[in-house]
This record gives sequence, C-alpha cells and structure tokens, in this order.
Amino acid sequence: MRAALGLGWRLLRAGGRKGLLGAALTALAVTVSTALLLFAVSANLAFEGRGDREAWRNPVPAQGRAVAVQSVRVDYVRDERITVVELAALEPGAPPPPGLDRFPAPGEVWLSPALAELARRLPADQLAGRFAGGRGGTVGDEALVHPGELVAVRGWAPDSPVLAGKGTDEPRGEVAPTRISDFTGEPTPDAQGYRILALIASVLMAVPLLVFGGAAARLTVARRDQRLAALRLVGATPGQVVAMTAAEAVITAFAGAVAGTLLYVLLIPPLTGIEIAGGSWFAADLWPGVPYTLAVLAAVPLLVGLSAVVGLRRVVVGPLGVAKRETPPGMRFVRVAVLLAVLAVVPTLSVGSGGGMIAVVLGLAFLSINLAGPWVVGLIGRITAGTARGPARLLAGRRLVDDPRAAWRTVSGVALTGFVAGFVVLLNPSADLLGEADASRLRLSVPAARADAVAAGARERLTAAGVRAGTEITGEGGEKVLVVALGGGRAAAPGKSGKGEKADTPVDALVDAPVDARVDAALVDRARTALDGLVPGRRATSTADDDRFGHVLIGDIGTGTIVVLTVSFLVAVVSAGITAVSSVLDRRQTYALLRLAGTPLQVLDRARRAETLIPLAVMGGGSIAVGLFCALPFAITGLDAGGLATLLACVLLGFAGVVGAGAASAPVLRSVTENPAPRPD
Amino acid sequence: MTSVVLEGYGLTKRFGPATALAGVGLAIGRGEAVAIMGPSGSGKSTLLHCLAGIMKPDEGEVRLLGQRVDTMGERERSALRRTRFGFVFQFGQLLPELPADENVALPLMLGGVSRRDAVRRAREWFGPLGLGGMEERRPGELSGGQAQRVAIARALVTRPAVVFADEPTGALDQTTGHDTMRLLVEATRGGDASLVVVTHDPQVARWCDRTVEVRDGRIMTGVGA
Ligand SMILES: Nc1ncnc2c1ncn2[C@@H]1O[C@H](COP(=O)(O)OP(=O)(O)OP(=O)(O)O)[C@@H](O)[C@H]1O
Ligand SMILES: [Mg+2]
Repeated sequence: MRAALGLGWRLLRAGGRKGLLGAALTALAVTVSTALLLFAVSANLAFEGRGDREAWRNPVPAQGRAVAVQSVRVDYVRDERITVVELAALEPGAPPPPGLDRFPAPGEVWLSPALAELARRLPADQLAGRFAGGRGGTVGDEALVHPGELVAVRGWAPDSPVLAGKGTDEPRGEVAPTRISDFTGEPTPDAQGYRILALIASVLMAVPLLVFGGAAARLTVARRDQRLAALRLVGATPGQVVAMTAAEAVITAFAGAVAGTLLYVLLIPPLTGIEIAGGSWFAADLWPGVPYTLAVLAAVPLLVGLSAVVGLRRVVVGPLGVAKRETPPGMRFVRVAVLLAVLAVVPTLSVGSGGGMIAVVLGLAFLSINLAGPWVVGLIGRITAGTARGPARLLAGRRLVDDPRAAWRTVSGVALTGFVAGFVVLLNPSADLLGEADASRLRLSVPAARADAVAAGARERLTAAGVRAGTEITGEGGEKVLVVALGGGRAAAPGKSGKGEKADTPVDALVDAPVDARVDAALVDRARTALDGLVPGRRATSTADDDRFGHVLIGDIGTGTIVVLTVSFLVAVVSAGITAVSSVLDRRQTYALLRLAGTPLQVLDRARRAETLIPLAVMGGGSIAVGLFCALPFAITGLDAGGLATLLACVLLGFAGVVGAGAASAPVLRSVTENPAPRPD
Repeated sequence: MTSVVLEGYGLTKRFGPATALAGVGLAIGRGEAVAIMGPSGSGKSTLLHCLAGIMKPDEGEVRLLGQRVDTMGERERSALRRTRFGFVFQFGQLLPELPADENVALPLMLGGVSRRDAVRRAREWFGPLGLGGMEERRPGELSGGQAQRVAIARALVTRPAVVFADEPTGALDQTTGHDTMRLLVEATRGGDASLVVVTHDPQVARWCDRTVEVRDGRIMTGVGA
C-alpha cells in the first residue's frame, strides 16, 4: 500500500499541467461535496440538539419521589411566542433546571437574553409587567432552542394556584402542572417532526452529492484511462494498476475533503442565520463535532477511491480494453425497468407511511433515476444523431451514443434537482390554507364559578390600562371562556386613536364587531399584560395566536425547500462545469486537429453545447415529472401559483446555471485548440 | 514545373530565442508532390504549418494562387483550410464516436453540403482506397493503416488544392506505411491536388516528385523534378 501511495503521488505530480488541472477539478468537486455533506450531517445533528435542549420543558411525570412541580405555558408578545416555565420546589434539594444556576425561589423570574432585551425595549405595560418580581438571572443557552428564543422561568411556592390546575385539554405546546423527579424530559412531538423533515431534506441533498462524488472519481479515471492502459501494455499487473489509481484518487480526494471541511467551517456563520422554527442557530449547532468530521474525512476519500476502482474495471479487464475504442455495447433496458418498479411502489405510500419509509423510497427513486439516466441519454443520442442535418448536431448525437454515462454525468445534477423541485413544490402548502384568523379577541378560560368575578376584574384592569374592550362570557360546563374584544386606542383620547372605525364603537358592541386580523399589536400586548395573572396559570390568547405555529411551519417548509434546492443547484452547476471542462480536456487532441483542419470553433462549441442541452431538457423535464409523481401521495395542496413559480424558477436557474457552467469550458476549448502542434500526452 | 499553386518567400518563424525557420522559400506546382525531409527539430512541421495557414510567419509571405494567406485573419484562414486544403496527421484526427463514413463526410457537412449528399460522396472514396465494407466501422475498430486511409479520404473529399501531411505514416509499420503513402500520392494526383508531405523515410520520399531538405530552419537542397 505504501508503495502504491508513493507511486500514486508521483503519477499525480508527473501528470503535467493539464493532468494537474484535472486533479484540481476532482479536488474541487470533492471540496464542494464534502462541505455540503457536512452540512447535511450537521443539519440532522442540529435539530437533534434543539430537541435535546428543549426536552426539559416537556416533563415526564416522576416515577418515584417528586422533587418539584413544573408546568409550561405559552404566551405571546407581538408576533412571537414566549415559553413560560412555572416551577416550584417540593424539597430543599431540588436540582436547578438547565440554563439556571440554582432552583428559582418563589417570586423569582429568569428571562432568556432575547426576552430580557425585548422587555427592556417595549413599554413595561406591554411586556415587562407580566414578569414582575425579583429578577433571578438569565436563562443560559444550553436551555434554549435557538439564540432568539423567548423563555421565562418563574419560581412559585408549591401551593401556589398557578401550579394547582389539573387541566385536561392543554393548548398546543403547554404542559399542565406535573410532579417531576428531574429535568430530563423528552423531546416534544414537534421537535421529532422537525427531525424527520430534516432527515428527508438531507436525503434529498445527500444522494445527488454521492452521485456527484462518484462522478468526480470516475473523472479522474477517465483522464487516466490512456496512461493506465499504456501501463498495462508495458506489463503492470492489474493489482498494481488498481492500487495506483485508487491511491491517486484517494490522495486527491483527501485534499478535497480537507478543503471542504475548511470551507464548511467558514460557511457556519452565514448558515446560522437560516431561520427555522422561529429562530436562527447557535454556531455550535452547525458544527458536527470531531468524530463526525473525522468520519466524513475518512469516508469521502474512501468512497472516491472505491468509485475510481469500479470505474477502472474496464482497463483492468484487458490491456486493450481502453486503448482500443470500440462501439460500446448498448445500455440495457433493465435500468429503466428498475425505475419503473420503484415508481410502481410510490402510489402505495401515504402520509402515514412514516418518515423512514418515505426517505427510503425517495432515496431509491433518486438512485433509479440515476440508473435510468444513461439509458435515456443513449436513446436521445440515437434520435439526435439519426435526425441531425448539420455537423454540430451530428457530433453531439454521436457523442451521446458513444458515452451516455459521461453525458449523463454532466446533466445528472440538474436532473436530480428537477426531481427534488418537482417533489417539494407539491409539498409546499401556502399560507392561504390558514386563512385570516382573528387577532382582536383575546380568550381566557375561567372556572365557571368565578366567571363573573373574573369578567369584572378584567374590565377593571383593562380600564386601568386604558384599553377599550368589550367582554363576554361564552362556553358551558365547568370551564367557561372570557372573550375580550379589543377596540381602538386609549379611551381618553378618541380623536388621536386613529385605529380605525372601532375607536368609535361603543364598548359593549365590540364583541359583535367583525373578525379583525390587523389589530394594533401594541394594544393587544397591553391587554395581555393587563390580563396577566388574572386567572392563575392562564393566559389570554387569540385565534391568530393559535395559528402562529401553522404559519411558522409553513414558513419553515418554504425555507427548507429553498435550502435543499440551493444545495442541489450548487452541486448541479459545479458538476456540470467540471464535467464539461474535463470532457474538453479528454478530447483535446482531436479538437485541436479538427481546428487545424479548419473546423470553425463555433461548430465545436455548438456541438459541445447541444451535447449538454438536449439531454438536459429531456432529463430535466422527465425528472421534474417523476418528482411530482413521487410527491402525489403526500400532496397537501394542488400545484398553486407559488409552487408553479418555484418550479419555473428552478427550471430557468438550472438551464442558466448549466449553460453558464458550460460557458466556463469555452475558454478551455479555445486554449486546447490554440496549440498549433498538438501532441498526445 | 507547371503553374504554381502555393508559394512561400523568406519565411521566418521564431519561438522566443529559438529560430525555427530562417528565411525559407518554396513553390509548389499544380499536382506536384513535394516531400519535406530533415532531422528532428529542423523546422519541417513549422514550415508546413506556415504554408498551410495554421501559423503566421514572423516574416515572409505565403500565397495561394497569388492570394496572400499570411495576412488573413484567423477566421479566413480557417475557412481556407477547410475548403482549399486537406490534412493528414500522424494519428488522432478521426473522431472516435463517428463511423468512418461520417468522419469523411464531416468536412463536406461543414461546407454546407446536406448530410445525405455528404455521406454519399464520402462513401465514393472507400472503394478506391481499399476500404470497401468499412463505412460504418468506428475508428477504434480499424487498423492503424485503415484509419490513415480514412483520414486520406477525409483530406481529399472536399477536392482541395493542396493536401498537407505531417508524418502520415509515422505510426505505421514500414510495409503498411509504404502502401498508405502510395495511396496518398496516387489519390492526390488523381484528385488533381498538390501534396506537401513531411517524412523521415527516404523510401517514402521517392514516391514524390521532389524532395526538399530542411536543416536548422533553412532549405539545403532541391532534388528531383
Ligand atoms: N510551439 C512551439 N514553441 C516553442 N518552440 C517550438 C514550437 N514549435 C516548434 N518549436 C521549435 O521549433 C523548432 C522546429 O520545430 P518543428 O516542430 O518544426 O521540428 P520538426 O522538423 O517538425 O521536428 P520533428 O521531425 O521532430 O517533428 C524546434 O527546435 C522546436 O523545438
Ligand atoms: Mg514535426
């Protein structure tokens, strides 16, 4: 192995300038792949980390002796959600919750940095008033889902009514008072849902990466074909040839993997700005850690080496295998049959099939598109060559037939992105699904026995806070709902309120006012703050608040789509550029001689472009169709205008990207054909 | 010598400090076959490239039927090479993915001939060059000598005024090389074209009308007709 490594290294260095350029292209491909692979791995770890940091707020009832009582409440300020954790120690030795350096004493409040900042910024009667009491300290990052998360932890006496309720029907994200023995908790269902989405997204990103990495490896081999065949002719054993090539590929790939890791580290700061589930990321979230990084650093070169060895099979089979160019055997139809078989499974899937199953089928669909690709490209080539009238099309068609795999390599990235695009547009729900919820009515659940007293208290507090509002008690049974319908600004200044027609509506008529989604946020927060603590352990919320999670989720799916598509496009465009350049390098002698004999550069250039664009159009369109088909079982909505626009943008970007990347190879073509006395090297 | 087709005067070409051609003059007559010989590195290929409009000489003139070639732009020279000249190189000039007949037809198609006519006219060359039945083979499926004969057909298919060949048999064994060479000379004569061939083989030179000896960028002797 050491000898092979040494020889591989020498071959690499002796490859000359063009050889070095080829190696550099492979390294570049591996760099991009590694960085994106690390991103895909980190994305999963990051969501896992969020889930773990949030778990303590999703308590598990104590099995043995309980040391504390915990409840979790959801409050809102402006458009954001505040998680309020209410705690009471049952015995002196209760352990501190994560992020706090001691157990909060009754009456103490701890705020997360973002909440503390917001409480300082907003008028006290809109936010800070809700967290009166001794400030215990700041909630540490290790207890926060994201840096901007709004979290408050409050200490109470064990017998406080805040922690007394038994509540059966808890609103989303809330937890009724629970007796706990420690703060381990378990990940919330939402966190688990996000992990599944992250897994699917990383499959969508990782499969094209692997294909791309493999293509990069075979690219090294393609350039070495001639020389290795020559080595075989002079008597190198198959083992030596394989070892040398593998060594060369591994060395190149390792350099690329190290560069890719550095690139990823540089990308972490901008990547932390991607907002998912209401917030951005801690830099530590996106650092995969040393073991995973080492694993990627080891796995990438190994995979590239393996790919290179597989690609070498042809050379090793016989010394003349590559040196002699023959009509390649046709691609077998089995390739397409596999794709059809996988597609036949798709309709049996449904939303209930489970994330793992969906990820597996997606991966399979992906791989089988990659399998069927060369066959289809070969077919396109035969049609193109058969119908060609001019030389450029003829050249392009014959080239596609000659090496459909190479042509597929150029367009596979974009084709696979087309699949992703087709798949995700159908899964992208639009915010219209939720409609416009009412933000002007706050609802507070109250025990039936105290309903009237609470209503009177509410009116009193609201008047004191200068909030015009009508009240109404609805609901039946033991639990009633106090509805607070908000009007305009301060009652004392009717002329200046300017908050629309409601300013003049009599207070009592407000409860009958139409649904209003655009009520002044400061007014709502003043009302919330005024009503805070009116019913222990309960907060006043509107239906608009209830919909907030849905809006965040829809926004997140959109963000995820953009991230996945961006990654796929990067891969697609870089791979198209690299393969286009390497295909020119591979054929530099023939191109140069054709140019000497007077073939216009434009014809060669047109042939080169047609060679990419024809399969791109067919395969890109085909893949989008397959992606749409695969998404059908999970489709939330039909293809709406937004989805169509996304798809169209993808198609245009894909074409522009590949054309642009191909244009990068035009100067290379010019330079290799400029040498008037080309020599095979 | 009959009428002159191609001529060069005082051709000088320098590569940095090295002088590859130091004032060479050469006239090629209509239908004439001229062999260029000389030691390696003496400037044979450079001379051929200057005459064929592949390179611009630093000094001197090249004229095809009285028309200046060396002052033309790259686009014009490229068109000239495509229409009035034919080329045969040592190897590697055939596109491996095209069948033999399409390789030969390519220059015609570049000149605007329809694909069907181009292939038909290309195929007419296969019989006379001993390539009958090989029309649909790809270059990888041909022997070295057969591939060179396909290249000869491609050089001649446009009915050029001059065919340039740089060591066209350099990669072949002697017997095959001689056969190929004879075919090249006969076919160019039959096509009423002139031939400029660079070769190391004195036997090959004998098939030509005249041999020009190049040494250190200068023409030493003119032998023959
Ligand atoms: N592109 C170039 N750059 C620099 N020097 C060159 C270049 N082409 C040729 N030369 C030099 O010019 C001289 C003549 O080269 P040329 O290729 O014409 O020789 P030749 O007679 O064809 O040799 P051979 O028989 O080996 O092919 C040589 O010294 C060569 O090194
Ligand atoms: Mg030479």
